[in-house]
Amino acid sequence: MLLRLRDIARFYGPRLIFSDISLDLSGGEILLLCGPNGAGKSTLLKIIAGLMRPASGKVLCDKELNIGMIGPQSCVYSELSASENLRFWADLHGCRFSDKDMQDMLERMRLAAFADEKAGTFSTGMLQRLNLARVFMLRPDLLLLDEPASGLDEPSLAVLWNETAAAAERGAGIVMITHHPREAPLSNCRVALLENRRLCVYDGIDAFPGRENGPPAAGTAAAAPAGGERRC
Amino acid sequence: MLRTALIIARKDLRLTIGRSGDLAQAAALGLLLIFIFSLSLAPGQRMSAQSAAAIFWMASAFCQVIIFSMLHAYEENNGQKQGLLLAPMPVQSVWLGKALAGIVLLMIAQALFVPALIVFLGQEFGPVWKAGPSVVLVCDIGIAGAGSLMGALVQGQSGKESLLGILVFPLLTPLFLGGIRVGSLAFGGADEGIGDWMGICLAFDAVFIAAALPLFPFAYNAEG
Repeated sequence: MLLRLRDIARFYGPRLIFSDISLDLSGGEILLLCGPNGAGKSTLLKIIAGLMRPASGKVLCDKELNIGMIGPQSCVYSELSASENLRFWADLHGCRFSDKDMQDMLERMRLAAFADEKAGTFSTGMLQRLNLARVFMLRPDLLLLDEPASGLDEPSLAVLWNETAAAAERGAGIVMITHHPREAPLSNCRVALLENRRLCVYDGIDAFPGRENGPPAAGTAAAAPAGGERRC
Repeated sequence: MLRTALIIARKDLRLTIGRSGDLAQAAALGLLLIFIFSLSLAPGQRMSAQSAAAIFWMASAFCQVIIFSMLHAYEENNGQKQGLLLAPMPVQSVWLGKALAGIVLLMIAQALFVPALIVFLGQEFGPVWKAGPSVVLVCDIGIAGAGSLMGALVQGQSGKESLLGILVFPLLTPLFLGGIRVGSLAFGGADEGIGDWMGICLAFDAVFIAAALPLFPFAYNAEG
């Protein structure tokens, strides 16, 4: 098991965001985390990453994990070029990354033509692609993706799904926040719904009782469809 | 830790050179200070070596506040701080990287202050002027150690430059005193227990480094 969450709770001031959150994640597994705005999805991701402390509970890992995270911000230095940004993060993580590897990654992210341009001149979508390149290049053991599809066009979305699937195939555990779990063309994934301060985990998208293009309406999570398994 | 600190320092220097205006602003403030003090002198009058050394360190102090505020601001806007915190390295690498970049930038600014002291305040190099850069480096190590720690503490605060100044100036007083005493010798001042002052400066360097290493993770990890 790559990661275990046990009885996690978190407050913002006096307000309880969630409690009794327990979750296991294995290497090679993809967990799609969804839920309404303000449910605490991003907070849970930060707790998993170790960027935030839970009020109670534990985050347990079998080994020291190399974590890659995509948050709402790009993690990009706007005064550095795309290739300088990637080189900086690769060096910092001690990744052996040849110029050809970097060129390949930039090509996959359709940024090769802009490799030497300052990231400050990039559009939102280009910054998001550069951020994805940064994280996938580091080959982390655990990938935490907070709405990684936002700002991406169709070809870039295809790259995102391919890279995510490839990361899972090489054994990385992945937690991805998305409002549209059914739109993610990923196999072998579970869906977790964070709602009303509790987390329900469904084994597979088919077991998830959500609407076609979004999370389930309030109250519908209580009953899992036939054939699906639900653990809250 | 040293490897990752050097990578961070190299990146910060690259960013600062890219935005040359930031360092120019810090150096211009110091130069302006030296020029204003020169207006207090009558034509042809020479300021005492000790006063000139005091003005040099005052200019350096203001410069230091701008430099460390700027260095920590590089991680403020686009979530880069989160990336640094997730990197497989001790958080103290960030402190050391910023301190190393800060020393380089501060010494560049100080290299500009010295000719200004000669031109505007009528200073001349004394017989032991060659020791000057080592004295400056010894003081800069402590200044950078404290500046890098306090810079992390005030990030995200409103009025961070003034807050950084308020926090850091009292701490650095012993280093400035030592720097002034020893620095005056470089401009031909009298030798007044230079060895003792250098010892004090080295001791405070050690204190700031020893304090920053355990404290920096708390200052930098503060949850938003």
